[in-house]
Amino acid sequence: MEIDVERLKEIVGEKNVRENIADLYVYGSDSSVHEAIPSVVVRPETAKEVQEIVRYANAGPIPVIARGAGSGTSGHTVPIDGGIVMDLKQMNQILAIRPQDVLCKVEPGVVCDDLNKALKPYGLWFPSAPESGRIATIGGTIANNGSGVRAVKYGTMRDYVLGMKVILANGDLVTLGSDTRAQASGYQLDRLIVGSEGTLGIIVEATLFLRHLPKFRAMGMAKFNKLEDAGETISDIVTSEVTPSLLELVDDIAITALNKTLNMNLPQVEAIVAYECDGRLKEAVDYDIETIKEICEKHNAFGIEISSDVKEMERIYSGRKKLFAALSRYREGFACTSLADDMAVPSSKIAECARRIHEIGERNHVVMNAYGHCGIGLLHTKILMDVTKREQWEDARRAVDEVYDYVRSVGGTTSGEHGIAISKAPSWKKEKADSLQMMKAIKMALDPNNILNPHKLMDAPDDWVTATKLRYPVR
Amino acid sequence: MDITALKKWENELNVCIRCGYCYEHCHLFKSFHWESDTPRGKLILAYGLLTGELQPSTYIAEKIFECFYCKNCEKSCSAKVPVTDILTTVKESLFSAGFDVDGVSAKVIEDLCSGCGICILDCKAKAISFKQTDDKKQADVDKIKCQGCGICISACPSDAITQREGFGVSPQELLSRVTDFLDGEQSDISPKVITFCCNWSVYPELQFSILPEKEEIPSPIVITMCTGRIAPELILQAFNRGVWGVLIAACPIGECEHDGNYIALKRILLLKQMLRQFNIDSERVRLEWVASGESAKLRNAMNEFHDKLAKLGPIGG
Repeated sequence: MEIDVERLKEIVGEKNVRENIADLYVYGSDSSVHEAIPSVVVRPETAKEVQEIVRYANAGPIPVIARGAGSGTSGHTVPIDGGIVMDLKQMNQILAIRPQDVLCKVEPGVVCDDLNKALKPYGLWFPSAPESGRIATIGGTIANNGSGVRAVKYGTMRDYVLGMKVILANGDLVTLGSDTRAQASGYQLDRLIVGSEGTLGIIVEATLFLRHLPKFRAMGMAKFNKLEDAGETISDIVTSEVTPSLLELVDDIAITALNKTLNMNLPQVEAIVAYECDGRLKEAVDYDIETIKEICEKHNAFGIEISSDVKEMERIYSGRKKLFAALSRYREGFACTSLADDMAVPSSKIAECARRIHEIGERNHVVMNAYGHCGIGLLHTKILMDVTKREQWEDARRAVDEVYDYVRSVGGTTSGEHGIAISKAPSWKKEKADSLQMMKAIKMALDPNNILNPHKLMDAPDDWVTATKLRYPVR
Repeated sequence: MDITALKKWENELNVCIRCGYCYEHCHLFKSFHWESDTPRGKLILAYGLLTGELQPSTYIAEKIFECFYCKNCEKSCSAKVPVTDILTTVKESLFSAGFDVDGVSAKVIEDLCSGCGICILDCKAKAISFKQTDDKKQADVDKIKCQGCGICISACPSDAITQREGFGVSPQELLSRVTDFLDGEQSDISPKVITFCCNWSVYPELQFSILPEKEEIPSPIVITMCTGRIAPELILQAFNRGVWGVLIAACPIGECEHDGNYIALKRILLLKQMLRQFNIDSERVRLEWVASGESAKLRNAMNEFHDKLAKLGPIGG
């Protein structure tokens, strides 16, 4: 693959192009297990520059991989075929905040939590910021259809994108959607881009619908001696009349990891269910919190703590945000890998799924845990193992297969929020077997030269272990 | 390059999940916006050197030696990866292999150094010692131990210590931030107050995003990395150019990696005495202890200081 770096420098300026192997190596990985080296990294600052880069790449053809914070867990930005990694963090303007229309317009490199800080003075917020929102960009969150802990009440990214400006593979700029919530006719192309993982176009501007910040929030933490009880509690809460604004499961492995690394002082029980309710009236919030408490107690919860203290709630959220990395310290000699990661199952299956995950881990000589935004049926797991041993990767492969076989068997889905990319493609391709051709047809129509984030999703290799070099020193 | 020493960190480099949370408050990343300047990027470089996927180079050495040891990365890492300890080992290995680069470390201008030794007393990292040259003894910086805090630069009476520019924290760069404020878009704001704060006090800067309108920050905040870097001359120069008051937010005593807050305290006390002799209200300089994450405290201190300065008005006015 011949890349005219001088041409790229003409487009974005010399200061925005890197071709030293050290830079390329750094841009070759994200928070997944994968690693591959790009040919060059460019940092466009305007939509026009993105257009010109894409036009140049399309003539090649040369792969173009759009990158936000590089916090993806499945290898979304790992340039499997090399090519141009396009770092969009320089396009970081919050273009407009329009409280009168309850929307904002942002460039793709705006950091999710930054947007919320900027919206706060207007009494508004964007509830779909993921747990990695401190660095994750809006562009990446849209491309991945991210969500976060509040999805149970407020939905996912797909519910917040009103419109977008997107650069297509041929370099054309298209404006999708509108500035209105009501959009009735035709193909919902803006929604097609959400979750397309950089394979259909590069987002250069997004119009986001916003929410009013709730006036009151309170949260509860219920402890359970049996994981099954916690799971049944979650199913009952989801089917009750109450809609919590957060409903999370934390299993014993996660509790140990949090206590070990963050000194959170959580009780060492089999499961904790954390829930939050919000609203405009304190009495209404309290009533909902109490209703959920009663459901918890019905399922043998004990030591339920309720708090509306901002600092205490912040402590709990902060622990939740840091859980992924904390798991890496669960057991000496093991590291946390983002495998299996974020499946979703019908809410009545939460308890069974969590138990299965534990069993599958044990059977395959790895540690797997279960936690996550269970209010939307989403369970996170990670695989903790000795990443330096080759046989452990075989164990991990089997464990991942077994988990996903179960998930699909109960009508679940491979990824609830982190996306597919490389790591989860094998299961996802089985899940979507009868619509893969439809997706390939869309991809071919929009990107005939296959330059936009190639070999991801339906085009990813069939074996994630060998799809790329692994980022660990496997012996 | 001999990677023997680096091998002890293999497990830590595996434990790092590369989530990237470490770069949220990294001054180097904020300066350059390339991921290879982030703590995560540097750990990936260390990993590449360890596995042999990367060959050592001056380019890599420059990146590794560019760290101010503010340790914000370590504070945000729930996998508890000892980022700066790993970087120190990589520095040692690269230096032993002949990669002698400056990074952010202090550099002695030999012709100007009088060998007084003040810098040695002020360096908590014990990175400065005397070396004997043909005709005199002079200060010598150990680049591996040096954490780039800049205290020696502001302490040197002969201006004989410098640091590479480009990180926004050299005396000249700090002064130009003051000048930019006075001459730039915010030149009409009143009162004209400037706040210096170290990288631990992170209020209220957004990560990278740029707001549609002017940020509602009462006055500019200049990140100095360590408050021990602020020389009294800088404050006097700011006054001389029309600043009404200077607020310095430093880590509380005992919490500074470099003891720069203690040095700042001594300097500010002396400076206040001097200001009184010039009939300048010594309240125009204020030192506040603000620990990491105490953004509300910093905001309150700024608001209070603003109210005070609004009453005092410009110097001599």
